Amino acid sequence: MVSDTLSHLLRDNYLIARLRGKRSNLLGRQQLIALSESKSQTEIIGLLAEGPYGAELSKLGSESSTIETERAVRLGYADSVMSLIRASGGDTHEFLIQYRRRSDAYAIAGLVVFKAQGKTWEDYLATRQPLALMNEQELHRLYSLDDLSIIVREAGDRHLVERMKGFSMTDIEGEKASLVRDVINGWGEERFYEYINEKLSGPDRENCLPIAGSAIDIANLTLIVRSKIIGASGIKDHLIPSHWKLNQRAIDQLLAATDVAQALDVAASHEYYSRILSGARQKYEESKSLSFIEVALRRYQLDLGRRVFLGFPYSVGIVLAFLILKENEARNLAAVLAGVAAGLPTDELRSLLALQD
Amino acid sequence: MVCVDLSTCPTFWASLGAGLSVLLSAIGAGLGIGISGPAIAGAGVERPEVMLKTFIATILAEALAIYGLVVGLLSIFAIPALTTIEGGTRIFAAGLTMGAASLGAGFGIGAAGSAMASATAEKPDIFSRAVISLILAEALAIYALVTALLLVFGAK
Repeated sequence: MVSDTLSHLLRDNYLIARLRGKRSNLLGRQQLIALSESKSQTEIIGLLAEGPYGAELSKLGSESSTIETERAVRLGYADSVMSLIRASGGDTHEFLIQYRRRSDAYAIAGLVVFKAQGKTWEDYLATRQPLALMNEQELHRLYSLDDLSIIVREAGDRHLVERMKGFSMTDIEGEKASLVRDVINGWGEERFYEYINEKLSGPDRENCLPIAGSAIDIANLTLIVRSKIIGASGIKDHLIPSHWKLNQRAIDQLLAATDVAQALDVAASHEYYSRILSGARQKYEESKSLSFIEVALRRYQLDLGRRVFLGFPYSVGIVLAFLILKENEARNLAAVLAGVAAGLPTDELRSLLALQD
Repeated sequence: MVCVDLSTCPTFWASLGAGLSVLLSAIGAGLGIGISGPAIAGAGVERPEVMLKTFIATILAEALAIYGLVVGLLSIFAIPALTTIEGGTRIFAAGLTMGAASLGAGFGIGAAGSAMASATAEKPDIFSRAVISLILAEALAIYALVTALLLVFGAK
């Protein structure tokens, strides 16, 4: 533990100082609210021209599509993370690579869903995760395959192959596509959680575990609730076997729920997650969507990140906390751009943003 | 003075003290600069406007080497006038005090300076408060400097 702290102090203080400086440049709550009140994408792009997204957004033409603008935001986020990776060394560099590996799962999930929906490679390419370790050539090769089990075997590991049994390209549509996406994303989150749980120790593990642990717990919860929506049986085989606070007993209670409303009530009364999921049933009934769970998780992780920044400065937790803040900023920005382009009412748009209190 | 037995030789002990003062103080200063320097550079990359004021950490760390040099030089100047073993050990103690204190203060300045640079990069208005711990770390070396000077001036 002392050696970890000393190595962060001697080796990572350059990186830590940089990301503390970057943190002060993140878009604040008021700025995001102001952006959500914009009349057009052009207005938003103009307002962001001076910030970290300016370089990518300035490349867009006046008639850019929402997909192109969102991609520019993602590239701005990826640039920021890549500059941190280049500035890091030793264990912290390895930690950041593991964080990037998490994006591979998101890239594979997107690939499977796009492929199943019959979209072209170009459509997929415009939305792919720029942070993923898998390169374009590798993804193109996977996109040319038609059998889901082969794609999963080539891109993932035996855990993912096991978890994806029972799905095929022909039946991935609607909520089921979301379920498949959640299974693959959950596998990525689990790999990251296992890395933190097994390889880190002391303040590093202590600071990172709640962030990664809550991600896998909420991924399992989302899978169970989504399976209730589509009436899918045998979801147990697709769940993440690891857990943090959502233990086996809680999972059994969720699985035993007869419908979505009951499952959300069970989640809202959980001894740990009640703090972020109170009123879950009502939120679902109002929106008929599970996106509020993702927003609740992001808000919770923002709070954890804020606490990490206030605590002991020499741990890799600071790096993860910054990445969470930065990723959330990019997602909020993408939601604002898409919402403004779609003409969503301001209140509805704000409900999609994870803002710090 | 020609020494037959090194353990009772005032010149030997005084020379060792002078050497330790300079050596350990230089290591302390190196630690302070080595730890705080990268953080100051990192803060400067993101916020160039705070870089100049956060340089105070490296200046204070460098001062440790100067304290060690002052004690070392005064010790060397005092060596020709030494006549007793007590005088030699007083100068040895002075050198050890200055050197060891500089080592500790150097680590403290490095760690506090690094945290100060990071905090200032995030919130520039916090600088005037964050710098206090840095000054307190430097004060440790000043206590040792005063003690070492009294020891050197009292050596006969």
